[in-house]
Amino acid sequence: MLQIYCPYCQELREETEFSYSGEAHIARPLEPQQLTDAQWADYLFFRTNPRGIHHEMWYHASGCRRYFNATRNTQTYEIYETYPLGQQPALTCDIGGKR
Amino acid sequence: MIKCHSETIRTPLCDAVLAITSDTNAGIYMRENTFGHLNLRGNPTDKAFLSSIETVLALNLPLIPCSSVRSDVFSVYWLGPSDWLLMVPIGTESQVAADLRDSLMGQHSAVVDISSAQALVNLSGVKLPELLQKAIVYDCDPTHLPVGKVVQTTFAKTGVTLCRCEDGSIDLIICRSFSDYFTLWLRDASAEYGLAVVDACLSRPKVSAQT
Amino acid sequence: MSQPNRLSVGGRIDRSKPIEFSFNKRSYEGYAGDTLASALLANGVNLVGRSFKYSRPRGIMGHGAEEANALMQLGQGAVTVPNPKATQVELYSGMVATSTNGWPSVEFDLMAWLGKLGGPFMPPGFYYKTFMFPQAWWLRYEKFIRKAAGFGHISQQPDPDIYDKLNHYCDVMVIGAGPAGISAALEAGRNGKRVILADEQCELGGSLLASQQNINGASASDWLGTAVTELASMANVVLLSRTTVFGYYDHNFLAALEQRTDHLGPTAVKGTRQRLHRIRAKAVVLATGAIERPLVFGNNDLPGVMLAQSVSAYINRYAVVPGERALIMTSNDSGYQAALDIQSAGRTVVAVVDCRYHAEGRLAQMARAAGIEVITGHGVIEACGSHSVTGAVIAPLDQAGDQITGAQRSVSCDLIAMAGGWSPVVHLSCHTGSRPVWDEQLIGFVPGPNVQQQYCAGAVVGHYTLAHALSGGAAVGAEAAGAKVPEIHFDCGDETEAQAQALFLIPHSKSVSRAPKQFVDFQNDVTAAGIELAIREGYESIEHIKRYTAMGFGTDQGKTANVNGVAIAAKALHQSIQATGTTIFRPAYTPVTFGALAGRDVGSLFDPARYTATHQWHVAQGAKFENVGQWKRPWYFPKAGETMQQTLNRECLAVRNSVGIMDASTLGKIDIQGTDAREFLNRIYTNDWSNLKPGKCRYGLMLKEDGMVFDDGVTTCLSENHFLMTTTTGGAAEVLAWLELWQQTEWPELEVYFTSVTDHWVTYSLVGPNSRKVLEQLCNDVDLSAEAFKFMDYKAGTVAGIPARICRISFTGELSFEVNVPANQGHFVWQQIIAAGEAYDITPYGTESMHILRAEKGYIIVGQDTDGSLTPQDCGMDWIVSKTKAFSFIGQRSLHRSDTARSDRKQLVGLKPKDPAAIIPEGSQIVMDPNQQIPMDMVGHVTSSYWSVCLDHGIAMGTVKAGFSRMGETVYCPLVDGRTLAAEICSPVFYDPNGERHHD
Repeated sequence: MLQIYCPYCQELREETEFSYSGEAHIARPLEPQQLTDAQWADYLFFRTNPRGIHHEMWYHASGCRRYFNATRNTQTYEIYETYPLGQQPALTCDIGGKR
Repeated sequence: MIKCHSETIRTPLCDAVLAITSDTNAGIYMRENTFGHLNLRGNPTDKAFLSSIETVLALNLPLIPCSSVRSDVFSVYWLGPSDWLLMVPIGTESQVAADLRDSLMGQHSAVVDISSAQALVNLSGVKLPELLQKAIVYDCDPTHLPVGKVVQTTFAKTGVTLCRCEDGSIDLIICRSFSDYFTLWLRDASAEYGLAVVDACLSRPKVSAQT
Repeated sequence: MSQPNRLSVGGRIDRSKPIEFSFNKRSYEGYAGDTLASALLANGVNLVGRSFKYSRPRGIMGHGAEEANALMQLGQGAVTVPNPKATQVELYSGMVATSTNGWPSVEFDLMAWLGKLGGPFMPPGFYYKTFMFPQAWWLRYEKFIRKAAGFGHISQQPDPDIYDKLNHYCDVMVIGAGPAGISAALEAGRNGKRVILADEQCELGGSLLASQQNINGASASDWLGTAVTELASMANVVLLSRTTVFGYYDHNFLAALEQRTDHLGPTAVKGTRQRLHRIRAKAVVLATGAIERPLVFGNNDLPGVMLAQSVSAYINRYAVVPGERALIMTSNDSGYQAALDIQSAGRTVVAVVDCRYHAEGRLAQMARAAGIEVITGHGVIEACGSHSVTGAVIAPLDQAGDQITGAQRSVSCDLIAMAGGWSPVVHLSCHTGSRPVWDEQLIGFVPGPNVQQQYCAGAVVGHYTLAHALSGGAAVGAEAAGAKVPEIHFDCGDETEAQAQALFLIPHSKSVSRAPKQFVDFQNDVTAAGIELAIREGYESIEHIKRYTAMGFGTDQGKTANVNGVAIAAKALHQSIQATGTTIFRPAYTPVTFGALAGRDVGSLFDPARYTATHQWHVAQGAKFENVGQWKRPWYFPKAGETMQQTLNRECLAVRNSVGIMDASTLGKIDIQGTDAREFLNRIYTNDWSNLKPGKCRYGLMLKEDGMVFDDGVTTCLSENHFLMTTTTGGAAEVLAWLELWQQTEWPELEVYFTSVTDHWVTYSLVGPNSRKVLEQLCNDVDLSAEAFKFMDYKAGTVAGIPARICRISFTGELSFEVNVPANQGHFVWQQIIAAGEAYDITPYGTESMHILRAEKGYIIVGQDTDGSLTPQDCGMDWIVSKTKAFSFIGQRSLHRSDTARSDRKQLVGLKPKDPAAIIPEGSQIVMDPNQQIPMDMVGHVTSSYWSVCLDHGIAMGTVKAGFSRMGETVYCPLVDGRTLAAEICSPVFYDPNGERHHD
């Protein structure tokens, strides 16, 4: 069971207070009607699903009910950082992260 | 049955099958305290918003995460960056809500009466720490949950909002429709300690203002 | 004489408390402090079971969790416990224990003949190669195999015991209370940290419980007593004995099982039998010790072949010597301790057979000085005996221990103690994902690199001397506490040992495949020959070898087998142990009951049951309830003597002819307000909300981004920027999270707030031609007339004096008013409505009638008629999909995908049974041709189906491929009982198609 730092409540909480919400930093296309089916499918269904560093969203369902982002290693489950919506991660694959 | 307040009002725990007991040797004591509950939303970085609140309540909204503020009349819990719970004396919720809405006119805010949606239960007793360990995954040790701290977390399979009172007891806010489950669970978990149910009370312990 | 193997003095047992118990229906006596194993050995009982595959006679070989053979069946009836290891069972008065296999008895087992004769035909993997043909006979084989295999049995009765859970947080979690763990806990505790110390045994102390050494002048026993007293006095230290930390999970989360009353026996149980401790630790100290390895030689599984350290433990801790004439075989110095202990206990040591060429270590010298014969450069190549050890064959070995170099000879003995080296208990560190590392010097695997904030001390990292375990423990205890490492010195005497030999398999005069079976994994009957065979067959990865031979699969997780197996495999593969690697371990370290995992979330506490404010009234009326999500909703309100159908008929007729009342409080209610509330609704619903005025309600449909129907409900405009959204009962939480998701992550610029008010308001639907007349009596501040209060209007006022919100919404097609009041006053208002409705014979109705009434009108129920795979168009609801909204609402783009544009999609239609009396079962599959071959081409299924008393025939809704273009066609539903029901595709609006009734 993970222990996750909620950036709003500003403390570590147990995973059971949260629910997972998929890959982060996916912006909804502003003009969906302009996209081809393939492009729309890419937004709708396809995810990077990496081994290693993953940026994902979590929802503090039994807490402050805010969504936030996390950078987690999908192999080791280590959570490197959590950060509010609208911010960029400090740790990415390109910036000295482990693979 | 916990005594009901008036002919027309049945608070969430009214239907819970709990006999009032006068056991003085119980490990856990439980009482239902009844307040009006208002949910308050607004922008904490907006001075106008903060000032509008202060004008009506005569206290400052808690801005530090998981903190609370009290006056003789009101308690305010921080629930989120733009989310607060305001507890007011029972029966005054409509007036307080109306006063707040007036004060907040034109500002992006919300005041929603949720008085019937929640119940507040106070738990105390020498066995309280172990009981909390059975139900709650949050670290309720006094060093981690000191007086005035507010934590929203899980209680067994439902949600709860906790606050440590000055006397060391814990106020728990539970959702109305889960109150039966809550009391069943509480009775089961406290069976080995002894559970005494104190009559529901309209007043609450007086505590000083905290941030 | 009772207890022939019991010594008259010594041990930690209490001779003043004798305990009666039975094993395989014979009575014996033991003492308080015994395990079942020590008590059996004390009584000279060593044949305790039969092995898994070959049914060979087996005895007790160890003294703790590493025991592979002595699986027991404890107790009877509902409290019977399958497969505890006799070495971990604390003896209690009246204990009833039996072997788990052996028929007709453990002494004379028919299966053993199968094992002897069939053994050569049952190599590893034989199940993959046999019992294949004919395929139809597989079930016959399976019955026989199931009976022949396996160990204990479970009770078929409900578990009468109670289990619970406790959540902990601590600064330092110390796992294992041997010398290293105790030392670490003392340091951390003295530094004021929150410490938890857990040990699987009934007493803290680990190896100290059997140690004869001194620590700084005090006996190990006295030192232990003082240490435990100090730990117990610290308020910041939690001591958990009888507690096995069985799993080490992410972020220093651990799970431990405490056996609170198993040692008292089933009838003495009061309170919880077992407790699951869930621990979040800042730092973890693994002080889990090491397990002694057996040596692999011919017939090393005979009763009487035991681990050397276990023999010492039985002598020193339990005052039991499990034999009269002992032979010791060792590849290192520690085997000599058993020889010395056996001799001190007054029994004969035939010899110590040391596989090494030179035995000049301190303990070897002590043995010689005590007159014990030491034979170096030799090995025991075979144990002799049929049901227990009666002798052994010894032969000289070469220096590598690969070959026999001379003549063999036989000796007589009844106990063979084997000391094959030490395997650190690395299991918990493996749980974290760290792979153990082979240490050439230690001849064992040690924990790999730390993944988490973890420290190790004691035998688990090869600190095998007592002094090193104590000092190492103190050091990590201080480190874990963030404190300075103390300068303590532990004087435990001379503990020097000579270098051990890396020897695992003792050669036999015959080849491995021909020699008497040389066991590696006792519990799963895996032999050295089996491992070599697996490799010959091409299974060269240690992961494959494990799975092909079943090595390490048992309840002991191969604790005594793993390293020997890896070493033998490495040799056969001509590579190093390092290169061969090892399989790793998953939780649980030892078996965990399901009861402990379930805790108190059983029975009525399994899942929360949610109730409305009116529940007690429903109960008093005799309502039957159904589960809708977690809620208990009245299903129907039977009167005395009514069948369910009669009740439904009565309820539906009452609603359509007079007035009914239903408690709809469970539907989700979300308060939505802000200047962008309207814009937000436009983005989240399919229809247009731009011009919904205050005081008006509108039905809304919500899609997921893939275009599929997700939820629906009526949303009311309370004021220009203020709305009340309703959702389905089951969807309430999901919808709220959905709204927050979009506002927070995608449209934070929209000024809108959401607040759940589901529990704050009760909602009572007053339904039927007389509904207005009932409500008028209670409401004098709202004009309820048809002209003033139109269909889909909302007004605020009072009902029975209570502030209320009233909406004229209909889910039944009848005139109806939904009354919302704060839930604290709900019960009161409900009673007033009932009283006011008496004159009209007001009829409470439940969810079943509600379903029938809406189905007659063709209204869908999301989650019943839809399943996440239907678009609005599939449901015939294209009318609710706006074509003019500026914003591309959630799901809109997906409605134009090639897949959602297909004309042969499943479409929701009405179904009228050809036989008017028929009710097609919900879930029935629909086919076009009932006479086609099986498997039939299924074109849809029935989603809702009821008897309609108002229409006097059965009605149904279902999905049918291209259903809209098939109006009037007949489809068929083949049923499970062999019948086929025919139905005509029609409009789902069976009743009042022009909707005249609810507009009155």
